[in-house]
Amino acid sequence: MLQAIEAKGLVKRFGGVTAVDGVDLQLAPGEALGLLGPNGAGKSTLLSLVTGLRPTDAGTVTIFGHPAGSDAARRAMGVTPQSAAFPPQITPRELIAYAAARHGMRPDTDRLIAAFGLQRLIDRRMAGFSGGEVRRVALALAFCGAPKLAVLDEPTTGLDSASQEAFQSLTRDYVASGGAVLLTSHHWDEIEAVCDRLTMIDRGQRVLDGTLAEMRATMRINQVSLVVDDPAPDWLPAPDADGRRHLDSADSDAVVTRLVREGVAFHDLLIRPLALKDILATLRHEA
Amino acid sequence: MLKHLIAELVLSARVLLRQPGFWVPTILFPAMLYSFFGAQMADGPAGIYALASFAVYAVLGVGFYQFGVSVAQDRETPFVLWQHTLPGALWLGWAARIVVAMGVVLAAVAMVLLAGRFVGGIVPDGPETARLIAACALVSVPAVLMGIALGSAASARAAVPLSNLLFLPLAYLGGLWVPPVALPESVEALSVWTPTRAMGELAWAAVDGRALPGRYLVVLAGWSLLSVAVIGLAQSRHRRAMFG
Ligand SMILES: Nc1ncnc2c1ncn2[C@@H]1O[C@H](COP(=O)(O)OP(=O)(O)OP(=O)(O)O)[C@@H](O)[C@H]1O
Ligand SMILES: [Mg+2]
Repeated sequence: MLQAIEAKGLVKRFGGVTAVDGVDLQLAPGEALGLLGPNGAGKSTLLSLVTGLRPTDAGTVTIFGHPAGSDAARRAMGVTPQSAAFPPQITPRELIAYAAARHGMRPDTDRLIAAFGLQRLIDRRMAGFSGGEVRRVALALAFCGAPKLAVLDEPTTGLDSASQEAFQSLTRDYVASGGAVLLTSHHWDEIEAVCDRLTMIDRGQRVLDGTLAEMRATMRINQVSLVVDDPAPDWLPAPDADGRRHLDSADSDAVVTRLVREGVAFHDLLIRPLALKDILATLRHEA
Repeated sequence: MLKHLIAELVLSARVLLRQPGFWVPTILFPAMLYSFFGAQMADGPAGIYALASFAVYAVLGVGFYQFGVSVAQDRETPFVLWQHTLPGALWLGWAARIVVAMGVVLAAVAMVLLAGRFVGGIVPDGPETARLIAACALVSVPAVLMGIALGSAASARAAVPLSNLLFLPLAYLGGLWVPPVALPESVEALSVWTPTRAMGELAWAAVDGRALPGRYLVVLAGWSLLSVAVIGLAQSRHRRAMFG
């Protein structure tokens, strides 16, 4: 099948900084890929190579088989940049009409108004829009050319929680209907909510890559946490400041069975699955 | 493609027209200059040439100085970057900017003509007026191109001071302030190669019905091509330097 994004060995340098350092990336239609990594990891730079805004120093990237930045590639995608700003004299309705015209389409304004909660904003000039309001317009614009691929750089930064949830459910629907999504985020829960796969990069390099399902399967680990009355057995870790002891285990049942068998006096037992964040930290450590 | 061009035109025109604080003084300024200087400097038969000179000055001031150079200011905005991610040929956006700039240029020229009538008492007849407006429309293309060239070759901060530095000498060398016959000989030798002289000659020919001076058309075409080349080079350099 033709990949929405097919990138091999991407490199991008800025003077002495290698912002993207040999990254491979693949994204199929009907799939959402989350790009994670600390500030300055190279996420936005990687997206600028995918959108064709910057030429690569090495490597190739194609969008549905077309070179990134080509007209055919731009036709297939909608983009929300990390920092969006629009002329203050223009209204969202006018911007949507403009973007749709560039795609050679009629604007589907009513659908976008409903999807991105633009009812009160649509005919206001954008001077004075709040950060979250600008963000919602920028997101709506990414979807106004009926793209087969959406490239979204920190789409929900600055959005209130209702808008975040609306965005997540909209993205899931879009993916379910065959759209491909590449998004960056600093929110683990957002990646968990919308993505099938994630790629983690650090200092321009890919340090982790896989489907969320795989990661959870290989890491079916629970965290056991409890308070133990002295004397505690020496196989338990030392207590934290609150007097609780925490223990990660693939078999939490066995931990509890052992506690009971050894007659350890404990209370306030808590067992919870490890969060994606902790799974990633562990996997990265192993990698 | 037509859809795209229209969308660019509508967008540029909206952004411009919704800033009356920008366009009102912009189109009034050349007429004011004419009223203070041009109308006083020359009367009688010379009056119509002064009017034509100030019409060209309006073209230069609006096309070169205001529009062209402003390219330097907004080439680095997130909005422009987002526009680059949309499908469609990039040059259509440039074409739209030039057309909108020409609209404002012609409005400024119209103001100069009105000032000629009511302040200078200079009333060109119908064909003269039509030819002068056509000449101004024609020379606004190289004026805007030269401004865009300067705006894209210079850094965003340098563009305005640099164009200040070029603007008045160019107007003088081109014989827009003092008629070419009054220029010193050495300056005159230089003058015939300046774009401003060529623009002036076109406008003067328009008002006195002379044949279109061919050599000056070639000079203007040369400056236009040079500007397009500079724009092309500067754009690719930006794409490398700024966009990486
Ligand atoms: N135009 C540029 N010129 C010089 N260095 C740059 C440029 N753009 C990015 N960099 C550098 O490249 C590295 C990657 O930046 P990038 O913006 O891709 O990070 P990011 O992962 O998107 O970070 P964040 O989470 O903060 O958005 C950083 O070290 C940054 O300073
Ligand atoms: Mg970023």
